[in-house]
Amino acid sequence: MKINKYSIKLFVFIGLLVGISGCEDILHEPLENTIVAEETDYTQTENMISPVIGLYAEFYGMGWEKLPLVSVRGDDVNKGAQGDQQPFGETDKFNYNEGYWMYNSTWQGFYQGVFTANSTIEEVNKYKEHADNKALADKYIAEAKVIRAWYLFQLSRVWGKIFIVESSDPSGLFNMELSTKEEVMQYISDQMDQAIPNLPDSHPNQREDITGGVTRYTALAIKAQANLELENYQGVADATSQIISSGLFSLHDDFYQLFKLEGKLNDENLLELQYSDFGQGSGEQRRHLFNFYGPQSWTPAREGAGSGWGFWEPTLEYIKFMLDRGEQVRLQTTVLFTPDGITELENEYDGTVPDWISNETPSGDIIENGPRANFFSGKYYLPSNQLTQGRTAYGSNKNYQLIRYAEVLLMHAEALVQGASSNSISADEAVNLVRERAGLDPLSNVTLDQVMEEKYAELATEMGIRFYDMVRLERYEELNYHEGEAEFTEDKIFLPYPLNQQDLLPQLQNE
Amino acid sequence: MKSKLYFNSNNKWAWLLAILFGVLICNPLVLSANTAHSGKDGSGNGPLNFQQQQIEVSGTVTDAQSGDPLPGVNIIIQGTTQGTTTNMDGNYTIEAPGDATLVYSFVGYQQQAIQVNGRNEINVALQQAVTELEEVVAIGYGTAKRKDLTSSISTVSSDEIDKTPTADALQSLQGKVSGVEIVSSGAPGTSPTVRVRGIGSYPGRGNESPLYVVDGAFYDNIDFLNTSQIESMSVLKSASAAAIYGVRAANGVIVIETKSGEFDRETQITYDGYYGVQIAQDVVKMANAEQYSRMAMNSGSAADSLYILNAMQRYGRSRKNPNVPAVNTDWYDEILRPGPMQNHSLTISGGTSKSSYSIGSSYFNQKGILDMKNNYNRFNLRTKADYRANDWLTIGGNVIFSDAQRYAPENSAWRRAYHAVPIFPPYDNQIDEAEPLKLGAADILGYRGGQNPLAATEFNENHILTRKILANFYAEVELIPEKLTIKTTYNHSYTSIQGENVGLSYFVTEKMQRENANLNKYTNIFSDKIWDNQLTYDDSFGNHNLKVMLGHSFRDESYQRLAAGGLNFPEEQRTAWYLDKADEINEDAVGDDGSRLYGLSYFGRVQYNFNNKYYLYGTMRADGTQKYQQKWGYFPSFGAGWSISQESFMQNVDFIDFLKIRASWGQLGNDKIQPSAGTATTNVVNTAIDGSLVSGTQRTSTYSVLEWELVEEFDVGLTTTLFDNRLNLDFDYFIRDTKNAAINVQRPLLGGSTLKNQGEIRNSGIELSLNWSDNISDSWSYSLGGNMSTLNNEVLNLFGQPYLNGGSAEFRQRSIPGEPLLAFYGWEVAGVYQNQQEIENDPIAVNNGLVPGDFKYVDQNNDDQIDAEDRVVLGSYFPNFKYGFNFRVNYNNLSLSADFMGKMGNKILNRKRGEIIWTSDLNKDAELANNLWRGEGTSNKYPSASGLRRGWNQKMSDYFVEDGSYFRIRNVQLSYTIKDQNFMGVEMPQTRFYVTAERLLTISDYNGFANEIPDGIDDFMYPTPSVYNIGVNIQF
Repeated sequence: MKINKYSIKLFVFIGLLVGISGCEDILHEPLENTIVAEETDYTQTENMISPVIGLYAEFYGMGWEKLPLVSVRGDDVNKGAQGDQQPFGETDKFNYNEGYWMYNSTWQGFYQGVFTANSTIEEVNKYKEHADNKALADKYIAEAKVIRAWYLFQLSRVWGKIFIVESSDPSGLFNMELSTKEEVMQYISDQMDQAIPNLPDSHPNQREDITGGVTRYTALAIKAQANLELENYQGVADATSQIISSGLFSLHDDFYQLFKLEGKLNDENLLELQYSDFGQGSGEQRRHLFNFYGPQSWTPAREGAGSGWGFWEPTLEYIKFMLDRGEQVRLQTTVLFTPDGITELENEYDGTVPDWISNETPSGDIIENGPRANFFSGKYYLPSNQLTQGRTAYGSNKNYQLIRYAEVLLMHAEALVQGASSNSISADEAVNLVRERAGLDPLSNVTLDQVMEEKYAELATEMGIRFYDMVRLERYEELNYHEGEAEFTEDKIFLPYPLNQQDLLPQLQNE
Repeated sequence: MKSKLYFNSNNKWAWLLAILFGVLICNPLVLSANTAHSGKDGSGNGPLNFQQQQIEVSGTVTDAQSGDPLPGVNIIIQGTTQGTTTNMDGNYTIEAPGDATLVYSFVGYQQQAIQVNGRNEINVALQQAVTELEEVVAIGYGTAKRKDLTSSISTVSSDEIDKTPTADALQSLQGKVSGVEIVSSGAPGTSPTVRVRGIGSYPGRGNESPLYVVDGAFYDNIDFLNTSQIESMSVLKSASAAAIYGVRAANGVIVIETKSGEFDRETQITYDGYYGVQIAQDVVKMANAEQYSRMAMNSGSAADSLYILNAMQRYGRSRKNPNVPAVNTDWYDEILRPGPMQNHSLTISGGTSKSSYSIGSSYFNQKGILDMKNNYNRFNLRTKADYRANDWLTIGGNVIFSDAQRYAPENSAWRRAYHAVPIFPPYDNQIDEAEPLKLGAADILGYRGGQNPLAATEFNENHILTRKILANFYAEVELIPEKLTIKTTYNHSYTSIQGENVGLSYFVTEKMQRENANLNKYTNIFSDKIWDNQLTYDDSFGNHNLKVMLGHSFRDESYQRLAAGGLNFPEEQRTAWYLDKADEINEDAVGDDGSRLYGLSYFGRVQYNFNNKYYLYGTMRADGTQKYQQKWGYFPSFGAGWSISQESFMQNVDFIDFLKIRASWGQLGNDKIQPSAGTATTNVVNTAIDGSLVSGTQRTSTYSVLEWELVEEFDVGLTTTLFDNRLNLDFDYFIRDTKNAAINVQRPLLGGSTLKNQGEIRNSGIELSLNWSDNISDSWSYSLGGNMSTLNNEVLNLFGQPYLNGGSAEFRQRSIPGEPLLAFYGWEVAGVYQNQQEIENDPIAVNNGLVPGDFKYVDQNNDDQIDAEDRVVLGSYFPNFKYGFNFRVNYNNLSLSADFMGKMGNKILNRKRGEIIWTSDLNKDAELANNLWRGEGTSNKYPSASGLRRGWNQKMSDYFVEDGSYFRIRNVQLSYTIKDQNFMGVEMPQTRFYVTAERLLTISDYNGFANEIPDGIDDFMYPTPSVYNIGVNIQF
């Protein structure tokens, strides 16, 4: 009887155990709150654009330090006074520090973009299988290739030999070989040839799906840049001719306003990073950290507008060069003058400093002395009165122009004076278009020197164009402007690989 | 009698206080009050007066539990040397004065003193002494006597826990338990970092902490428990001990039993309360205005010299030194305050023959030492009851409710106070436009930012409401009386966290302002359910003793989070701080997150011993998880012990009371690692395109596929009791290997990291703990204790990789086989170049354009270059030696105890000094500022002021890596207990008064604020203050 009572209890218990054991299946359920990529329904081809937008989000979200590191070494711009971010300043003077955080961060950031582009291509390809409109898929893939090419172009200009990565899976990197700069540039050019037929034949600002995104002409511009690095001048001329002949691009009349809000999705832009405050005085916004470039101290026309860090100083050499040329429009746009800067100019400049040079900008902001620099960047300056009411962060709502039509015209001119032939406009016509907008008289029979001076005047402080031009033409003496402080030699062309990357990839140690 | 004076006092509280202070000051008073009832008092006078009245006393002495007669019991007339012993039948006869006191003592039993009071027959039942060995220890799904253990378990009891005034009971383990490292946290309501036997899992993902099992339920921390609610904490150190919790026990297990009632026990009411003050200790000295100005002027930066000049223009020049600004702000002074804390708890417990209960309530309140809205309040309710429903069914339940409100500190204030330059004032009335407070701002002098830490403390509020309910119910059925039982337990732990982060608007300067007030709210709900079933069989067959347990456990753990934010709300009305009242909802702040994880486990345990001499122990656990791609893990463990002292050949060794050697081996799985999806996942992102926000997706290019991380441990140990149970000694040697360690492997090129099973880590060491306690006389007793542990942390292999990088690119940490995990890795400083001659003689200096005042690094490979190849391991953040010791002296009712502790061999990265890599607008600590190189012979340790800013001197080197050893007087407590006293004819409750100083003194060479830094990287920490408190414990 007693045993029986126990057995009943025991059976109940065992029954419980068996009952619970049935729960085992739940161990195989996918994790909560994750989107399993494999579960993506690639037949929903209307979502094909999503990974492309994801790539643009990555591209536009670029950290502030990357473009300055790419661009700081020319005689057009200085990092700004010493004391702060010294290794960045040392980089400007060709003393490189492989352990410096900006090197690693720039390298990683650009490669992150490359990987995102690769993954975008892979994703779009999966939609493509189910898409009725295969051309749309091809367009998106071509678009990702262009953005990837832009990243690779920057990486190779800065570091020379780099990895060309085409997969989104980084596991194969450990055995991967580096490609030389020539190989990278040729790769970019070939990639653009593949992409061009699939891309929209329109101005970026005419695109309806992704306004301001990449088009055929962005690809052509990058192809031209890559061929310029290869000194394949005919390749440059052919690519630039196509852009010019399209008639879709023009120089914006007002050079000063081109770098302000008017420059957003401007007809002159071939590639730009887009930002917005969505027209609202508070709340969400997407912005670039233009503070880096801004004047350290100012009396803004609109009270309460924040100033910058004072790091992007146009050089005295550039200012003198422009004064010698009698330029006003481009000098006034490129440089913000401080009272101390004007004094310095009066002391240092052999000619007369014109009256229009003032520490008040054409927009009415008064630039004060800043301990870091005597001159501040004008091209990355947004006047305080162009800020959306309620916003105070320096430069918010401003876009970042990466490739302008002016650069395309001047690349075209350079290619022609280097011996290439054109099937569009002549070198003189290209240079004079740029000069005309700057209020200068036309030239005839332009020489290489004149084209390079025009490039210097037009594109100073932008994207390191000046530095890479001088390196390519081996005009190293132009880079030795630091007056005994720094000497540029051929072995200084490339930055050392970031220490952190050397630690991770043994291939880099042996270079 | 002197004490009468006090007894007649009308004010009861005055009397209580007077006693407390009387105890401290006036010892004779204590004596007289104390001895009023003691038999000794009587016998002291007695022999003279009553010597003639000798009577014969006889009786039997028995074991209280078994009732068996005890032969050989000593019986002594107190205060004399006269005595006798019991015969084989436990009987005795003795001649003694009629008012004498007889003292009965026997090894292994509690001594008893009984007044004769003229009686001729006195029968005594002696209770077995509860020595440490007889103590019952929680071992997970059951208990065992300490002497039966085959593995390493340390237990800390409630009176030790209560000594430390803290919100989190784990703090009280610091320095107490060998092999356990506690790194305190100073912020109110936060938990210390706990490491059992080094580090089981790769750090950095919050998975280093042990598993906490509170009355059977699993927790990640025990911040919701009041120390007074805890009966005991057992640290299951070895894998064999922890293996029964397999799934999560890889970092050790701490089993916590809350206080419960007892059957057949009178009601006991206990009040415990204290009040204390926390005071910041060892505040780091920062450079003052003079030191800072000198450093800035020497920096070679025109900008910095200008800032000093600006400060002098704006605030005037110091009268002492006209080259220094008149303002000299000590920013730590501005943000620190003394922080009061108090705790009150009331517990009522007892039981009848059928039921037992314990009901309690407690309140804890602590104000932080950061001068802002920074405090912690916690109110707890607790009920624990057991009921014997019939002869085979026992049921019970335990409910703890904890309601905590915390204002979290704005930790950026610590960072800013360290970095803010001393040459601008906290408040500056010259800034007209500043509102609502006229704060000072450094950017007025030209610095990049406003710097003032008061902007962080004044305009932020971080409010967190945490409500936690732990409910568990069980039913235990005896299938075969005293042999076979089943028990089913259901636990539900429910936590709701409501958080509110408020940033109020203010304006000081363009660079120090918050234009839009922001309000972010979130709700996190954790709901964890565990259902355990276990079957236990306990039997003896002759000399064979056997205990078998089989069990099953099902877990369902879920987490939900909702968050939203808004801008611009009625700031001046606290009651209107609602998103509905905000002008704008911030879409970026809207978030919804959650997880739900299931787990299923089967486990079993066999405990066997032969004649209490030879012990065998084994467990097996099978764990199923949803988190990894490998679903099931199987974790066995074994243990064996030999109680040598039970052997006949040891019977003649008098000084050894107990001696046992033991060995164990076990495997554990770690499921505290973040779940791996095992597949690529997609994230939703958005960006501005042509002025509209558009969303897209990014597919992760890397993902983890994980197996179980496995901890395997071998442990040999020895437990012994010597010299009449006065000395207890425990010794352990362990080797603990984490296999398949899940490590965040850095991704080349694109940065970030991926979790992979990619290494094997070893922790090994010895642990020793000793306790000596003795009674010198009836009045005097004392105890001495000490423990020490060594730890050798080592990476065994990384699956073929030569090393894995950790830390950050600028402050590299590296795991290299044969070296400690995440060792600091960089260049070794040989000294500082003193003069131009030295520079010219050194090709390294010439090639790198160095100047006197720059660091000279050790050229490890002598290739006349300082490059990546010259980097070496600079040390580890794990202490390799920890120790603690304590003493306690009791004199009658007065007791003094002190605990000391320390650790050695750990390094701290002084990351604050490294901030200069990013910006030079910063102050420096006084030690550095004062001892910078200023010319030949001035320093061989620090670079020059200008050198500080050069990249060459900012390399990761041992300049940044400092010795983190410290010694601490951790706790000193003086207490006095009033027992068996009458007050105006009413029996006084037993009352204990105490004063405590916690963390009285810390001695360390480290140049930083706090040396309690969990990961060895001192960026900004909430400092751990000293606490001084007084308290009282009353038992009715």
